[in-house]
Amino acid sequence: MTGPSMLPTLANSGEMVVENRWSYRCTPGKLQRGDIITLYSPLDRTRIVCKRVIGLPGDVICVDPTGQYTPSTEHVVVPKGHIWIMGDNADYSRDSRSYGPVSMGLIRGYLYARIWPLKDLTIFRNPTTYLDY
Amino acid sequence: MSRLRHAWRVLYWLPSLVLLREVGVLKLVSGRSMQPILNPDESLLWRDVAIFDRISMHTHRPYRRGDIVALKSPSDAKYELVKRIIAIEGDIVQTLPRLVLAILQHRNLSFGSRYPDPEVCVPQGHVWVEGDAFHSQDSNSFGPVPLGLVDARLVCLIWPWWRFSKVPATPSIHPRVTPAPK
Repeated sequence: MTGPSMLPTLANSGEMVVENRWSYRCTPGKLQRGDIITLYSPLDRTRIVCKRVIGLPGDVICVDPTGQYTPSTEHVVVPKGHIWIMGDNADYSRDSRSYGPVSMGLIRGYLYARIWPLKDLTIFRNPTTYLDY
Repeated sequence: MSRLRHAWRVLYWLPSLVLLREVGVLKLVSGRSMQPILNPDESLLWRDVAIFDRISMHTHRPYRRGDIVALKSPSDAKYELVKRIIAIEGDIVQTLPRLVLAILQHRNLSFGSRYPDPEVCVPQGHVWVEGDAFHSQDSNSFGPVPLGLVDARLVCLIWPWWRFSKVPATPSIHPRVTPAPK
């Protein structure tokens, strides 16, 4: 894997990860906010990108909380069959903030674990906690 | 011994499985959106069967204007659509007038016009797909489609046998499309 877009979670280069393609294919409805997924880039079908799911169909999303691309007051509703994805490193990531919600047909699978370097062996879990109010 | 035989059987069928899944796929085409090339007569009991080529997807052969492709529906990946590529990246398309879309929406034939603009420049890595017939759910309602959703390209029709033919690719440029300068 290369690229700075997922930086606190995945390093810039020199890491090997395992991708789980079966569970998404078998149960596509189990996609949750916070999952790390791999998908075909909407801008170039030969490239595979890795991002985090932020919004599911029907969610109201603040397009860019940092105000870098658009004013931070702009909100959109994620359309049916689409998801909102973002890289963890917002400053160096080209994601839904620039190309909008992506179709779920582009998803390949989940990122399951990091296997190289060995000392950083991790199985990625969904870190999302929902706040009740 | 039986395990060996089982393994042998799997090995024997594997090439044909790969051939059927990844090289050329038979698909049943239903619906009226590609009339008159596919399903010209709605009253018949069968649907057309066509061979779709997936090699071109794996080898990343560039798609051309006029290719008929099978693509996953952008709004629901379970469904596949068969449409014609009208414009490729960089082209400028004049979308169907808003009035037409409103009529389609009224008849529940389209699910909203995401691209209300009269003119759209097809973005990088996207194509503009449309059905040949008038009533079709296509890019006029859901906008440009990323190439990652395009699954296969139609090569030829095999059923019904009297219309067996290679589908003629029409490289002609659609009247509503202004091609990108080379």
